[in-house]
Amino acid sequence: MGFNKPTWTPGHDRHAESDTHFRQLKRLRARGERHARESIAARQLEGSLMSLAALLGSPVRDPDGHSVGELRDVFVNWTAGTSYPPMTAIVMRAGHRDIMISARWLEVTAPASIRLRSANAYARAVKRHSGDVALAHDVLDHQIVDSVGTQIVRPSDVYLATVRGRVELVGIEVGPAALLRRLGPKRLRGRIRPQRVIDWGAIHGFAPRPGEDEAAPRSRTAVAGQPGAAIALDRTAGDLKPLRPTEAQSALRRAGTRRAGDAS
Amino acid sequence: MSAVDAPAARKGTRTARLPRWLKGVLGLLAILGPGLISANAGNDAGGILTYASAGSQFGYRTLFLLVLITVALVVVQEMCSRLGAYTGEGLGALIREQFSLRSGAAAMVLLFVANAGLTVSEFAGVGASMELFGVSRYIAVPIALAAIWAVTVLGNYSRAQRVFLVMGLVFLAYPVAAVLAHPHWGTVANNLLWPHFVHSSAFLLLAVALIGTTITPYMQFYLTSAVVDKGVTPKTYKGERIDTVNGAILGDIVSIFIIIATAAAIGGSGPLNSVSQAAEALRPVAGAAASQLFAFGLLGASLLAATIVPLSSAYAIAETAGVERSLGRKLHEAPVFYGLYTAQLVIGAVIALMPGNLVQLVINAQVLNGFITPVLLTYILILANRRSVLGDAANGPIFRAVATVSVAVVGVLSLVVLGQTVAGWL
Repeated sequence: MGFNKPTWTPGHDRHAESDTHFRQLKRLRARGERHARESIAARQLEGSLMSLAALLGSPVRDPDGHSVGELRDVFVNWTAGTSYPPMTAIVMRAGHRDIMISARWLEVTAPASIRLRSANAYARAVKRHSGDVALAHDVLDHQIVDSVGTQIVRPSDVYLATVRGRVELVGIEVGPAALLRRLGPKRLRGRIRPQRVIDWGAIHGFAPRPGEDEAAPRSRTAVAGQPGAAIALDRTAGDLKPLRPTEAQSALRRAGTRRAGDAS
Repeated sequence: MSAVDAPAARKGTRTARLPRWLKGVLGLLAILGPGLISANAGNDAGGILTYASAGSQFGYRTLFLLVLITVALVVVQEMCSRLGAYTGEGLGALIREQFSLRSGAAAMVLLFVANAGLTVSEFAGVGASMELFGVSRYIAVPIALAAIWAVTVLGNYSRAQRVFLVMGLVFLAYPVAAVLAHPHWGTVANNLLWPHFVHSSAFLLLAVALIGTTITPYMQFYLTSAVVDKGVTPKTYKGERIDTVNGAILGDIVSIFIIIATAAAIGGSGPLNSVSQAAEALRPVAGAAASQLFAFGLLGASLLAATIVPLSSAYAIAETAGVERSLGRKLHEAPVFYGLYTAQLVIGAVIALMPGNLVQLVINAQVLNGFITPVLLTYILILANRRSVLGDAANGPIFRAVATVSVAVVGVLSLVVLGQTVAGWL
């Protein structure tokens, strides 16, 4: 680098260098903004999503606010043609026995509160009907497989949301954050910060344990709750893209509008 | 799934042409498998040195313990293979699904710690056996670590496993050595049938080590997963049960002969301090070559177990998390699985290279296993008792009583020794 050999051409190199710098800075800023957006969206979801992990074990209260039992499970009914099954009942531990209370007697609010609408709510023995899925027993912590049988992960949380007045199963969380939340102190479980959510619409049904007659015609919930049954996706693992918080938020918004459109 | 089913279907058409008697023999050979392998895997470096130490320190007096441990092993192994056959899931998955997530995580941490301890003892076995050949462990252990990792992750794992298994068969020389050493068979029978307690904390500690090395947690996890992998269903479970019970009994018969042979050769000479002492018991069979023969067998058994033990915890933990776990996957496709496997291998090798008495290090790892075993056995017992998991195949009242007593005795013994150890520190 001699004095008679210019190493820097005014305008040209300097401009190129600042361009690279500028691009890097722009990328960093965009990443920072995206993180901030996702984090805000994740926090906002706390107000609209209900976490099954947070609900389980929480008290079921009567209209006066007194605890009448402890939540053990949530039932949804997943019939053909339904993408997001509605909650139909809860299983509550009262004393030493489990009883079932129908959803019409219940008021469930985010993040984790269950209240009976009436002190005279009708309770019955626990019974599974056709199309019923017990979320804690059949979904939470069970194996998810893709459409070709590759084992992907186990759901660490199951999310419900109130869409136009009806509590529906909307997705399952597969990120490590939910796993850590459940392993931590119980009071932190209500602080929902979904990071990677699989839309329930991407779930095909329940698959029997490998080796059983998979070709046998049966409904998609026929093997739910059986040992070794897995939750089957309708796509391959490569095509699966878990929703980020902002995407989950817009999916929820879309669901709300769709239902409003259906109603009108 | 179709890729897995295809070879099975081809095999089905090939065996259809065979004569009936040959099909029977092939069927029997197919049944002999996981149970036999998992029970014999107990005779690894840790097992052999613990049994040899029992023989050298207390003569024949620990034999009755082995009989009781065999009963417990049969009961536990049978429950594990039944759980695998009837649910189609490994123990890790069952614990996460049937208990809370925290219980599952706690079980996995315990399994990881127990297996890390065992991996240490396997690498210590590699070091000790190579020292008998005159090779320093500081050279042998790193080479073994690199070789095991490369063979498992990059090479042909099942072929290597077979080679190690055949090397470990050297220990079948122990029954011959026991007979040639002319032990006092009357005393042997007496000690097998009647309890002969020795009132000392060393005896209790060794009892826990014997339990830890015989009813190893990793064997239970391996057996359940192997039964699932083999595709055993409730319909084909009868044959699997025979294999499990036979395997447990045969594995422990070899263990009993190791104690008899060592007791006859060097019984009463105190705790085992070097591997060459343990090799003395093979002198009636191999003469001057006893040391080399022992080292060869110990090397094979240690390499086999150093491959399988970390693999079993990587499988179990990845299964509990639900992520991909298979040696058929590439490194980036199953990062959790390969990461756990590598971490355990490295931890095991590094600790085994620390200065100290290798034999005592190996036996201490078995004691650690002895403490952790009852916790994991409790999970297995509760799962096998549940009708919601096994339906009609759940433990009946008699089996439940025997299994509960077995687990309780193992638990109480571990607690007593743990209490003694803690009191000794204070």
